[in-house]
Amino acid sequence: MYEEPYRWVEAVGNRRQYLDEQFAQGSPVVGVVCDQGILLMTMSKGTPKLYEIYDRLAFGGMGHPADLEKLRFMLLEMAHVEGFNRSAADVTGSRLVKYGIAPVVKQAFEEVFKAPSIVKIMLAELGQKAGKDGFLTINYDGVFEEKSQYAVLAATSSVEQRMMEYLRRQDCVSLKEAVDVVIRTWAVGDRAQRQAHETRENHEGAKESSDQLVADSQALLTHVRQRMEGKAIECALLDRQVSGTSKYRTLGSVELKALLPSDLSSALT
Amino acid sequence: MQGDFYQLLKEQGYVLGTPGHSGVGQSLTTATTILAFKYRDGVLVAGDRRATAGNMVMYDRTDKVLEIDRHSVMAIAGVPATAYEMARILEHSFKYYRRTQLQELSFEGKLRALAKLLKENVAAALAGTGAVVPIFAGYDAEQEVAKIYFYDILGAEFEGVEYAVSGSGSPTVRGILHYVNTWGEQPLGTMSQEQATVQALRLLTCAAEFDSATGGVNREAGLYPIVKLITAAGVTVMEDPSLRSLFESKVSKGV
Repeated sequence: MYEEPYRWVEAVGNRRQYLDEQFAQGSPVVGVVCDQGILLMTMSKGTPKLYEIYDRLAFGGMGHPADLEKLRFMLLEMAHVEGFNRSAADVTGSRLVKYGIAPVVKQAFEEVFKAPSIVKIMLAELGQKAGKDGFLTINYDGVFEEKSQYAVLAATSSVEQRMMEYLRRQDCVSLKEAVDVVIRTWAVGDRAQRQAHETRENHEGAKESSDQLVADSQALLTHVRQRMEGKAIECALLDRQVSGTSKYRTLGSVELKALLPSDLSSALT
Repeated sequence: MQGDFYQLLKEQGYVLGTPGHSGVGQSLTTATTILAFKYRDGVLVAGDRRATAGNMVMYDRTDKVLEIDRHSVMAIAGVPATAYEMARILEHSFKYYRRTQLQELSFEGKLRALAKLLKENVAAALAGTGAVVPIFAGYDAEQEVAKIYFYDILGAEFEGVEYAVSGSGSPTVRGILHYVNTWGEQPLGTMSQEQATVQALRLLTCAAEFDSATGGVNREAGLYPIVKLITAAGVTVMEDPSLRSLFESKVSKGV
């Protein structure tokens, strides 16, 4: 039935619609560069969504846990074999994405008889020198983008735009400032996603404007506080100050408590 | 999905060592003195820096005490080409396991990983082209204690309860370690970091005195042995200025 080109285009269109629905209630992922390294943040319910890939590479994902695991393993295998056969310096996010997983994700998306990968992936890479840090994001259709100072994953590109606009107006130099910024940016994305979801559910259309969505900091923190019920704030850092080759570490609850804005740290169990 | 990096390498056609050709009679780069002993805060691992091939000194800045991860060290005696390759496999294996399985490989698992590599290397070791006799020391986070293990070329592992030695200069230091630990002013296990470091410098100086394949301290060139300390906090490298100061104040007398 897909022999005719327009049928195939229609099938791909349906698949896009199906995938967009899968991400509607996912937790956004935010990554920012700060003086200590690169901070990644999301909110998770049990299963973590932030991982270490290689010495200077971290992974953040949205989507189906089994698909994320499959691609995470692919990245781990490629990175470690390359790091062993050549050197750690040859393991770059760009090569892993462009020649590694992006073609796999694209193929899965376009093979309409098979299940697509329900994933959106962010790869953060700590440069050997400050100023050389970067991000790569891959969409469920295999489209990848490179960014330098910050990157986000969210349910739709319009939500991602909104988060990026918010990030553009923020300053984050220290780790504490970065934690504050990623938390608020996450709230911007999550609020926008929930708003969009409710709009679709009610067909009434939500009347909240984008300015209201990107409300003041206090409103964003209140939103995070409400969403913390049954979920955990997950933060990982590619830490320039860590000795040794592996720069990835997660922020434990004690450290996170000290770094979070005071009204959120009190809600942290 | 087992998190086994060596298996992954083998699936891609990787072969460790070069078995099948006799290397007897060839001047392979070998010989050394490496030692490890427990002191008050953990384990000290040290090694001289000379690499020889027959009568020739090939290199005098070799690092034979290799940090495999934040809590383990492998000291190497034998053919460096194979030993360094093993260290690289181990380093990647431990990282790969941690990153795939989201937990550290157990200390027991790390010991097995090295034993497995030595067993895979038996043919090359017996052919005379790849014998490696390492010491593996680390901090066992599960049991909250530092441990030392030594191996034979076939991959058998033995726990060095208080100390372990390997390499051509090891007979000299083994006797001294036994003497110091049994009848010395204080057992090795009660020594402070400074006392342990002085002891290591003296032991390697003795080995260099009696074994031509072990390099001693070369003060003019600023060459001191490699000394690494493993405690609950991880691996620390003793820097040359500290070694120089201890050597000059507590070791150099009569050397």
